[in-house]
Amino acid sequence: MRVLLSWLRDYVDVTDEPDVLGEQLPMLGLGVDAVERLPDGDVVLDLEISSNRPDLLSLIGIARELAAWRRRDVRLPSDDVVNVDPPSGTVTAVEIVDPALTPRYVAHVLTGVTVGASPAWLAYRLEASGVRPINAIVDATNYVMLEWGQPLHAFDLDALAERRIVVRLAAAGERLVTLDGVTRDLDPEALVIADARRPVALAGIIGGAETEIGPTTRMILLEAASFRPASVRRTSRRLGLRTEASMRFERGIDPEGTLRAARRAARLITELAGGTVLRTPVDAYPAPPARPVISLRLARIDRLLGVHVPTDEAIGILSRLGVHIHRDGDVVRATPPVGRRDLEREEDLIEEVARHFGYDRIPEAMPVEVMSQGRRPARLEAEAAARDALIRAGLTEALTVSLVNQPLLDRLDIEFSDPRRIGVALTNPLTTEHTRLRPVLLPSLLEAVRVNVNRRREAVHLFEIGRTFMRTPEGEIAERRHLAIAMRGRWLQGAWDQPADVQEVTFFHLKGVLETLADELRVGPLSIRGPRERERWLHLGRAGQMFIGETKAGDLGELAPIVAERYDLPGRTYVAELDLEVVLDRAMLQPRYAGLPRYPAVRRDVAVVAPLDLAHAVIEGAIRDSVGELLEAVELFDVYTGPPLDAGMRNLAYALTLRAPDRTLTGDEVEAIIRRVHTTLSARLPVRIRV
Amino acid sequence: MADELDRLAEETRAVLRVATTPDALAALRRDVFGRRGRIAVLMKTLPLLTGGERAALGARLNQLRISLEEALAAREAELNSAAMARRVEAEVIDVTLPGRRGPIGRRHVLRRTLDEVERIFIGMGFEVVDGTEVETDEFNFGRLNMPRDHAARDSQDTFYLSDELLLRTHSTVVDAHVMVGRTPPMRVVTSGRCYRRDAVDATHMPVFHQVDGFMVGEGITFADLKGVLASFAREMFGSGTRARFQPGYFPFTEPSAELAVTFGGRWLELGGCGMFHPRVLEMAGIDPQRYTAFAFGLGVDRPAMVRYGIPDIRLLWENDLRFLEQF
Repeated sequence: MRVLLSWLRDYVDVTDEPDVLGEQLPMLGLGVDAVERLPDGDVVLDLEISSNRPDLLSLIGIARELAAWRRRDVRLPSDDVVNVDPPSGTVTAVEIVDPALTPRYVAHVLTGVTVGASPAWLAYRLEASGVRPINAIVDATNYVMLEWGQPLHAFDLDALAERRIVVRLAAAGERLVTLDGVTRDLDPEALVIADARRPVALAGIIGGAETEIGPTTRMILLEAASFRPASVRRTSRRLGLRTEASMRFERGIDPEGTLRAARRAARLITELAGGTVLRTPVDAYPAPPARPVISLRLARIDRLLGVHVPTDEAIGILSRLGVHIHRDGDVVRATPPVGRRDLEREEDLIEEVARHFGYDRIPEAMPVEVMSQGRRPARLEAEAAARDALIRAGLTEALTVSLVNQPLLDRLDIEFSDPRRIGVALTNPLTTEHTRLRPVLLPSLLEAVRVNVNRRREAVHLFEIGRTFMRTPEGEIAERRHLAIAMRGRWLQGAWDQPADVQEVTFFHLKGVLETLADELRVGPLSIRGPRERERWLHLGRAGQMFIGETKAGDLGELAPIVAERYDLPGRTYVAELDLEVVLDRAMLQPRYAGLPRYPAVRRDVAVVAPLDLAHAVIEGAIRDSVGELLEAVELFDVYTGPPLDAGMRNLAYALTLRAPDRTLTGDEVEAIIRRVHTTLSARLPVRIRV
Repeated sequence: MADELDRLAEETRAVLRVATTPDALAALRRDVFGRRGRIAVLMKTLPLLTGGERAALGARLNQLRISLEEALAAREAELNSAAMARRVEAEVIDVTLPGRRGPIGRRHVLRRTLDEVERIFIGMGFEVVDGTEVETDEFNFGRLNMPRDHAARDSQDTFYLSDELLLRTHSTVVDAHVMVGRTPPMRVVTSGRCYRRDAVDATHMPVFHQVDGFMVGEGITFADLKGVLASFAREMFGSGTRARFQPGYFPFTEPSAELAVTFGGRWLELGGCGMFHPRVLEMAGIDPQRYTAFAFGLGVDRPAMVRYGIPDIRLLWENDLRFLEQF
């Protein structure tokens, strides 16, 4: 709302400097976008008005705020008109089809007007307020709209078929050429002002060209109405047409204010364009709403605000805002002014008092309340612990947008039958880039990897913890936390004496990260199974599934070459996608002390030559079985292929740590155990023991 | 016998002078001090001597043993330190070569900000709760006093998944859930992703983060709201920070305020707050005559940008490691 300061002074004495207003009005809740100085020294305040205050889209509404703030009085403009016979009702008629959409429609009739240009002072005020002057009659309606906040429209009465107004919904196929020259197709939900035959204006939005005021106009029908906000908003949006009128009707126009604004505009028109006003305007007002009377308990002001507001001050503020006050002991019966439909209950009045008392006069206090325990729920603690473990394992946290599109998801090459291929569609996407909620994190995380690699950052170790979304068979949305990891390129920095391939991330770095995660969260036995059963987006021979106990938590492996190519990623990239909820369900954040060993451990090495396709896990399992509980740890410390071993064979060397909790193991015991290991391995597996 | 002693002293000292290796010294030690060494042999001859001679020679032998022991130890130490010196000389490295580092992971700057905010509210006795990003129209709007057709819905352009399901436009919706079925007093805070139907540019993303909280009790006032948020601002932005409360409009609070804090000589807008509208409390089954409540919703992304001097919101979501590694 552009407020011309010299015009505002017609209604209230404003003595503050413009810059002071710029600083102080926001403390009343009037946002100041700009303080604009005009070449002639006048000032325009560009105010931002919240959607609950249609009254502030008027100079008188703003004058009331300033009056309450500076404890002054408001001067209202004169709306005295000389009325002549015959009554308006003998010349025109107004029919409201649906009172729910049109609570009130006031029509003044003026005759004998001469349409010419507005005087300079008026044109100046309109232009400074951002409204283009057209002719004296249109300008008068706009002037009153800016003054009182009530949009008005003037029709050429002779252009209306049967000189009649019908406020109704548009019929199918109807069209209207609006004042901006555009032909608009009307839909059956659009509220229109029609004459006996056709629509002549879009209610509350814009007039029609055929009934426009022109040089030959002699008789005017002056409309001041109230329309249902939602209806105006809907049609305005549908047509992409926002006007000064629609902006006001969308926020709600109090039907009680229509008659007064119409009279004021009629008076102004007679001043500017001559003519006379017919007596008794047509006033279609099927169901006048009761004016609310709000009970305000004075004690409640202090109770809600936490400060003592003197009763006189509170009542003074409300009165200057135009609220009619009737005091009844500790309670005030308050009737809000016309145009303040936002004042409905006690709290609304307390806010008015608070604004003008001054938010900055309310002290900063700390609540006096029953003590309470600050805490985070276990699930969030576990999520934080998982994040922390991954960061300590050397990964950096990424955040990607949870909205994706189908091409991005398709790049990951998910199985056609898999519901994760599509995610959840938005019914009203804004851009083609963001059309659905992601069912998995990896496509977006890989996009982040691509961005880094494109920018010559080859070493990328990222993870993301975020929500994923899937539609359940019942039609609900399942929202689950996932974890995605992507790792590639160099792992160590400054390893200048190591061969390049030793410095690079491998599958086992990725697996190590997941092992760290499982250990830190104490989720219990973790196993990686593979590689044959795998997701299509993983490398056939370098993929696995992560299990905690017998529950699958996710997939990991080298990104399939075909997918890597789609992301423009040269070399090898290792990725994982886990259903983090499975991990968090089992997280144990409370450590428990285990006694430190009191007797020494014995280390023995066992080396086996095994076929390449015999998995390490199988050999390790056999070792564990054969030793039993005296085995404290078994560590694979060397894997060798090459001469003198036969092709297809490898040597695996294990270090066994043996310990008894209650004694020092004797040499004989240890030898017996190792012999048992040898026998078991040879008997169960196609391996040769190297002694 | 006396000659023997002189010879032993002389010969031992001669060997010591020429010995250059630890091995040579070890051999000498064996030869002289060993169980069958020359001193032991001489000791054995002592009882054969007469009383006066035995005492005199015994004393001399003992002195000689001590002095030779000292000489040998001195020579050993000398050789040892020479050997050390040679070893370290041979082990020179170029200390200007780069240090070796394993990767250091980091939290995202927004996560870091969210964690800080949560920590501060936990410190004031708030309980953190979690919500979902997919919400119902009823809770996201209706329970927050924005029935269908409410004008304020326009400013919160919403992504829908169906007629009833949507992506939450504010985490205030979590407040509406948490209040149901609980008995005051309550102090609760929540944070997470929210969505608005915005196209991506330097200052807008369709996804952003918010922290929301509220406090319900029999005597909660607007002054308490100011106190709690001003205290939060001082913890977050430094002890000299001032908080500014300007009247604002939210359908779910009455009175409502916009919160800004001083930062870097300017006002940094943090979000909105106010006293929960009695209708919101009623819908949650809380008697607004008995209880009052304040509530607040704070932005995270833009304040973090201002705080760290990040010029473009897209940097937060692009995950360029050169960016992420700065925090």
